[in-house]
Amino acid sequence: MDKAITIALAGNPNAGKSTVFNNMTGARQHVGNYPGVTVERKEGGCTHNGFDVKVVDLPGTYSLTAYSIEEVIARKFLIEEQPDVVVDIIDASNLERNLYLTVQLIELGVPLVLAFNMSDVAAAQGHQFDLEKLSALLGVPIIPTTGHKNKGTAELLDAAIEVAQQTKGTNPEMVRYGQEIEQAIANVVDKLEKSNKLSYSRNRWIALKLLEGDDDVASRHLSAELRPVVEQQITEVEHKLDEALPTATASHRYGLISGVCTQCVRSTIERRHSISDAIDLVATNRFLGIPVFMGLMYLVFWLTFTVGAPLMDLLDGSFGWLAGVVDGWWAPGAESALRSLLVDGIIGGVGGVVIFLPNILLLFLAIAILEDSGYMARAAFIMDRLMHKIGLHGKSFIPMLIGFGCSVPAIMATRTLDNRRDRLVTMMVVPLMSCGARLPIYALIIPAFFPGAWHAPLLWIIYVIGIVLAILSAKLLRSTVLKGESVPFLMELPPYRMPTLKGIFIHMWGRGWLYLKKAGTIILGISILLWVMTSYPKKTEFQRDYDAEIAALQTSATTELQEEGLAEIENARMAETLSYTVAGRIGHALEPVIKPMGFDWRIGTAMIGAFAAKEVFVAQMGIVFSVGEADEDSDDLRDKLKDNYTPLIGFAIMMFSLISAPCMATIAITKRESNSWMWALFQLAGLTVLAWVVTTLIYQVGLLFGLGVV
Amino acid sequence: MAATSELSASLEDYLEAIYHLVKEKQAARVKDIAERLHVKAASVTGALRALSERELVNYTPYEIVTFTRSGEAAALDVVRRHSALKDFFVKILLVDEASADSAACAMEHSVTRPLLERFVHFTQFVEDCPRAGTKWVRGFSYYCDHDSKQDNCEKCMRTNLDEVIQKKANKGAQAMTEQQLGSLKPGQKAKIVRVALADAASRRLVEMGMTVGTMVEVIKVAPLGDPVEIKLRGYHLSVRKKEAEGIYVEQAML
Ligand SMILES: Nc1nc2c(ncn2[C@@H]2O[C@H](COP(=O)(O)OP(=O)(O)O)[C@@H](O)[C@H]2O)c(=O)[nH]1
Ligand SMILES: [Mg+2]
Ligand SMILES: [Zn+2]
Ligand SMILES: [Zn+2]
Repeated sequence: MDKAITIALAGNPNAGKSTVFNNMTGARQHVGNYPGVTVERKEGGCTHNGFDVKVVDLPGTYSLTAYSIEEVIARKFLIEEQPDVVVDIIDASNLERNLYLTVQLIELGVPLVLAFNMSDVAAAQGHQFDLEKLSALLGVPIIPTTGHKNKGTAELLDAAIEVAQQTKGTNPEMVRYGQEIEQAIANVVDKLEKSNKLSYSRNRWIALKLLEGDDDVASRHLSAELRPVVEQQITEVEHKLDEALPTATASHRYGLISGVCTQCVRSTIERRHSISDAIDLVATNRFLGIPVFMGLMYLVFWLTFTVGAPLMDLLDGSFGWLAGVVDGWWAPGAESALRSLLVDGIIGGVGGVVIFLPNILLLFLAIAILEDSGYMARAAFIMDRLMHKIGLHGKSFIPMLIGFGCSVPAIMATRTLDNRRDRLVTMMVVPLMSCGARLPIYALIIPAFFPGAWHAPLLWIIYVIGIVLAILSAKLLRSTVLKGESVPFLMELPPYRMPTLKGIFIHMWGRGWLYLKKAGTIILGISILLWVMTSYPKKTEFQRDYDAEIAALQTSATTELQEEGLAEIENARMAETLSYTVAGRIGHALEPVIKPMGFDWRIGTAMIGAFAAKEVFVAQMGIVFSVGEADEDSDDLRDKLKDNYTPLIGFAIMMFSLISAPCMATIAITKRESNSWMWALFQLAGLTVLAWVVTTLIYQVGLLFGLGVV
Repeated sequence: MAATSELSASLEDYLEAIYHLVKEKQAARVKDIAERLHVKAASVTGALRALSERELVNYTPYEIVTFTRSGEAAALDVVRRHSALKDFFVKILLVDEASADSAACAMEHSVTRPLLERFVHFTQFVEDCPRAGTKWVRGFSYYCDHDSKQDNCEKCMRTNLDEVIQKKANKGAQAMTEQQLGSLKPGQKAKIVRVALADAASRRLVEMGMTVGTMVEVIKVAPLGDPVEIKLRGYHLSVRKKEAEGIYVEQAML
């Protein structure tokens, strides 16, 4: 008999929306994206007074103009999905600006309840509210809440359910825009009423939005016949007022808000310098700001990678143990496709991704603390000048920095960016920040080809090339595919707050779980695919008769020589097997394409394996060069490389690894975060092409200068 | 307006009262109207019925009263007449507000439009003309209080001339104190006097509360020189200097 009710949560960013959402729904929530766009959509539910309540968290917005994708989404949801009631979370300590959204919600005519959140902060600041009067003036019930103490949640739900059951809405005509604008509205409404059957207040809203030049509303309601009327009204009114219409209407809304506030708010004490201001004296200080920022970023890195390392080893160990156990189900040496699939394909592949979980959880712990405390906004404030030069937003800095650790958490960290375009550009270029998994490749190759004094500078050059390419690509994307007016950097610097344990935990676990679940499923698929590619078709007829060679060896040589010889033969067999597989064949087939970069089929095959994870490149090179289990410290492999390739090719390999197709985990997470295969494939293709062009250029220019011959 | 000319003086007073109540309290109730006009609730209901018949207000018993579109225009018309007359009484004739109000209320119903225009223009003229102005009106007050005596006319003329010159010079100075928001230094407070934002994106500044008349304070400039942290309406906002270009402010005189 449960009756179902949908509540939509609206509110300014930082008003405590997520906190109230968590209070309402507890653990019952689901995070996803709005269809087709990279905007997080959170849904949850609870039962209250016998009602089945569904809660939808709308994107945090300051306004409801169709100015950003978040606002369009919020508005579209309100108009099209018609929630039974909208709860507007208000930061009471910042009343005037928060009421701007409220007024727009009222104008939209949705059933509304106000949650007066942060009442504790407002009280501490010396504000006293006449809530009864405010509620009467606005025509909406108001419930005081304190989000982080979970106070007022039940009352809020009571009020929301009550409003949801009423049919009476708010008074959408509350704001009067002065004679000139009102007259223009009336003229447009007259025309609208002739062509549609909407209510007067709906038409008034449409007319107002048309006059404000709202593209979204125009695309729905501005007929060819109406267009000249609206345009004429706009010119006339703007001429009379000597002001742009959207700014004039905004002023009128603020006028009403100021009027209401003078009647309902009393400030008892003069607000003195708060703790928050004191922190900012250091945190955004002219001279200390940047060092403090760098220090904190270092701390984030340290937490993610150093503290995470033992946990990672532990997980790595467990997967190794698991592989051993599964391996034990078969007789030693027995050939079994199933065993290989389970051990090498699934456990190896999925394990390779899951072992990043500690890093990711720790990273999100750090980000959650930075975000919830309010420092993230300061970081963006400090870095914006630099990032703006690349056409990005101050907040892009943090994901790019994290990219030096690993692209996967870095791409997930782009969630802190409010603007979709900025977010996509950041996602696309993050893999150019050389991640930790590429370090083994450099560690193998640099000492193989270059003298000791060159090691550090070369490593540095590689990282710098990555950064420069990221900057150039960002600029390129910003002026082509992701063009569009740059978003003004209007960011609130909220007061510092003590983050709550619950909030941080939900933040951290929600994102970690997402990583495991979604990336896990895609990665499982790709792991199996890669396993098939590097295992099939099986070669049965070999060029050398390995078995005979082994037999001969076992009878003739000493034990020591036997072992060495056996390993050599096994590796040669593996190399031949690999060369026969799909991956090996692709490597061969790719030779003409990768030739200009100085690569042969062996490097090509290893690169395909490296798509599973960059560090796999080293192991794969070990296989193709028949040196057995290779890691980045393998001198055998270095010798082989030195014999086969020139330093120029060595450098080309590093360049290609730096730029090319990021690992599959990155592609999978880009797909998840951008909510589109298109962007994931664009990233894959774009970076691969870029890598090819840059590497070819370096190799060919190098050859010209005679660097190829040693 | 056709509807208005047919209205009785009393109905116009009702329109006026409702207008003010809506403005002050967002809604007009029968009780409030009665209180305001010092009449019985029953008379109010009668009047409301008459107004609603003429489609000037929406009225059903026990609900709040709202204007129709033509009703609002009619009310505005009455209110304008009232305030034009009151302005004249207070500013030119130097009558106290209360008597000005009641006189305006009585005259507003019969004053013709051309005459009303004259009142408005004359008030404006007296305020603007260098030969008249507030000083001149104060002279009138002196004249009224001192048995129609005019003292010191030469001196009055001379100081007036000085003031005209000063005023001209001041206007120039005032134009110079207008500056861009981005040019304020940390710690400086200013009032927004003009908003000239060309592109739609930066109009968002206004939505964040940067409307004309708002006080802003520059808190600090980011370590790399941009953006700036600004305090307004009790909160802190970060804006890039370039993007705040269309916001003009006048520094608060300390
Ligand atoms: N003092 C105080 N802090 C609160 C209150 N509600 C939420 N917060 C804190 O405000 C910060 C921002 O809240 P959050 O829910 O993330 O805001 P959102 O951006 O609207 O989702 C968090 O650190 C919360 O713990 C409240 O009523 N009082
Ligand atoms: Mg939130
Ligand atoms: Zn990585
Ligand atoms: Zn009157």
